[in-house]
Amino acid sequence: MASSQPNRAFTLVQREMQEYRNSLFWTPIVIAGCLTLVMLLSVLLANRITVMGDAMMQVLMDESAGDGLAITIQIDEENGTDDRVDTEPDSYTITTDPGPANEEDWSFSRQWKFQPKPGARQKPPTADYDSGDDERIGSLNPMLNMLHNFLILTLLIVSTNYLLGSLFADRKDRSILFWKSMPVSEWEEILAKFGMAMVVAPIVFIAVSMIAQLASILLAMLMIWRLDMNPYEVILANIEFGPLFLNQIGGWILTMLWLAPFYAWLLLASAAAKRSPFMIAVAPIIGLIVVEQIFMGTTHLATALGNHLPHYYEEDVSSVGFYLHGPVWSAIDYTGLGLGLLVSALALLGCFYLRRYRFEL
Amino acid sequence: MSSIIRARGLVKAFADIRAIDGVDLEVKSGTVLGLIGPNGAGKTTLLRALLGLTGFEGELDVLGRNPRSQRAELMEQVSFIADTALLPGWMKVGQLLDYVTGMHPRFNRQQAESFLQTTEVKLSRKVRHLSKGMMVQLHLALVMAIDAKLLILDEPTLGLDILFRKRFFEQLLNDYFDGERTIIISTHQVEEVQNILTDVMFMNNGKLVLQKPMLAIDEEFVELHAVGEAATQAEAIPYVGKRSILGGSAFIYQDIDREVLAPLGELRTPSISDLFVAKIGGDSNHG
Repeated sequence: MASSQPNRAFTLVQREMQEYRNSLFWTPIVIAGCLTLVMLLSVLLANRITVMGDAMMQVLMDESAGDGLAITIQIDEENGTDDRVDTEPDSYTITTDPGPANEEDWSFSRQWKFQPKPGARQKPPTADYDSGDDERIGSLNPMLNMLHNFLILTLLIVSTNYLLGSLFADRKDRSILFWKSMPVSEWEEILAKFGMAMVVAPIVFIAVSMIAQLASILLAMLMIWRLDMNPYEVILANIEFGPLFLNQIGGWILTMLWLAPFYAWLLLASAAAKRSPFMIAVAPIIGLIVVEQIFMGTTHLATALGNHLPHYYEEDVSSVGFYLHGPVWSAIDYTGLGLGLLVSALALLGCFYLRRYRFEL
Repeated sequence: MSSIIRARGLVKAFADIRAIDGVDLEVKSGTVLGLIGPNGAGKTTLLRALLGLTGFEGELDVLGRNPRSQRAELMEQVSFIADTALLPGWMKVGQLLDYVTGMHPRFNRQQAESFLQTTEVKLSRKVRHLSKGMMVQLHLALVMAIDAKLLILDEPTLGLDILFRKRFFEQLLNDYFDGERTIIISTHQVEEVQNILTDVMFMNNGKLVLQKPMLAIDEEFVELHAVGEAATQAEAIPYVGKRSILGGSAFIYQDIDREVLAPLGELRTPSISDLFVAKIGGDSNHG
């Protein structure tokens, strides 16, 4: 009959998931479903795309007749010798048209013609992957990352809302005395709620994101198949699944570490609030920033806060940031990270004190 | 019987008001103690101190633990229904049982479900959709299925009609109390619980006014119903309380020879409510 620690942890998580089922479970599923639905509509409309696409592809790919897409630029020049410039060595040639220039036409001194080189086949995009053209590798990853970003941004909003309410709602509805009648310590409660925001909710959102990405890939393959192209070569060969998913997970781990003080502060505001956790979370910070700026003329708090608040990070090798796609472990500001974690620990200690000694509204 | 609660010089002050003012308390196991007092007497504060839900000064030991610093461990042995406690409305009854099953090592889910089968509370219903009576039944089902040594009930039947109240206390006595468990009940419906109490405690202005076993009440206190001239004679004898009755007065005496009173009228054991009124707010004459 004794409840084991794993069982207790599971029960605490289960309780949180039940209370915040809509925001922590249904929200990512609905958003992912909507995004996947958009993709599905694209597939359903692929016939229309096909009609236009066939015409375009016909123009683009029919090199055997030699009447492919040609862009002609005329440049005036004395001699009419051929001047071949291979910008796309395997695909196009630039030739000087030896014919007479018409004065009434564009007065370029030479006429340049961009056209597929006879004998060169229009390769599908995937062909470059095999031939070592790195620009094509992983070219679909940004598209999938966008879907992931959308879910992670939703996660941040949902987590903020969750944390602000998690140590306040039971005091407001007076059910706290029931929870306190259970043999559950304040630390168990606080760490369960903090862990929900830091670990469990992200696992749910990232899992849903990955499923949605896989669904989108499958739908994209279906669409490409309906466009009479090879879905394996066009889609699958252009996605690096390993780096994609590892970066998304690793990105969250680093983001989580940076966000820890922000989340702990929200939890503290939730535990301290008598009426509005949001005001308790925001007002003192704004006040301190203003006071620091007026009396000391510095902006250390604002800077530190900015470092730990979620903000978009991608290519910049900043030491801090909001890592959506992948962690930049080598560029971490360990001092800032350590101070943030220290602030997190202090905030959680404050939560413990308030939860044990000042829980009544 | 061993003591499960020991308090010495217990004090809890809110600003300049002493909600608990130097309370000394000892409760033995197997006791059903009625905590009775007017509004603002400090009953709820005292019970919350016993449960570790509020700070205090003085010495307090509940089941060998300090309730303030060891509340979670204490709650394995103690159950309580607080006066203002509400069960979480967002939960379904079944989810509530899942939670208690997962977190409480002494909870018997089967027993709780058996109890609930005798009520209209269904596992699939949300707590917020239950009536006040059903919610109390659910709460009672939870605490009765916990093998606790101490059960603390702070106005558990507040707001319930008399049928629910009677059923509540009957179930508590028949299905829960086994002679070893200890129950502390704080209530205003004194008449409804006095037949299940083994001990009674009166509290007023943060102080304990009286703490005695019910058997001692029978021995120490006597109520005299005197009419006419006898009432005048009875009034001359020091009493702890007096109230008017048809044609005369009823007097409550403490530690008096019943032979002295017998000629003056009918003698009986005072009800707890009459004794309470006499001790707390009654008209006393100590001679």
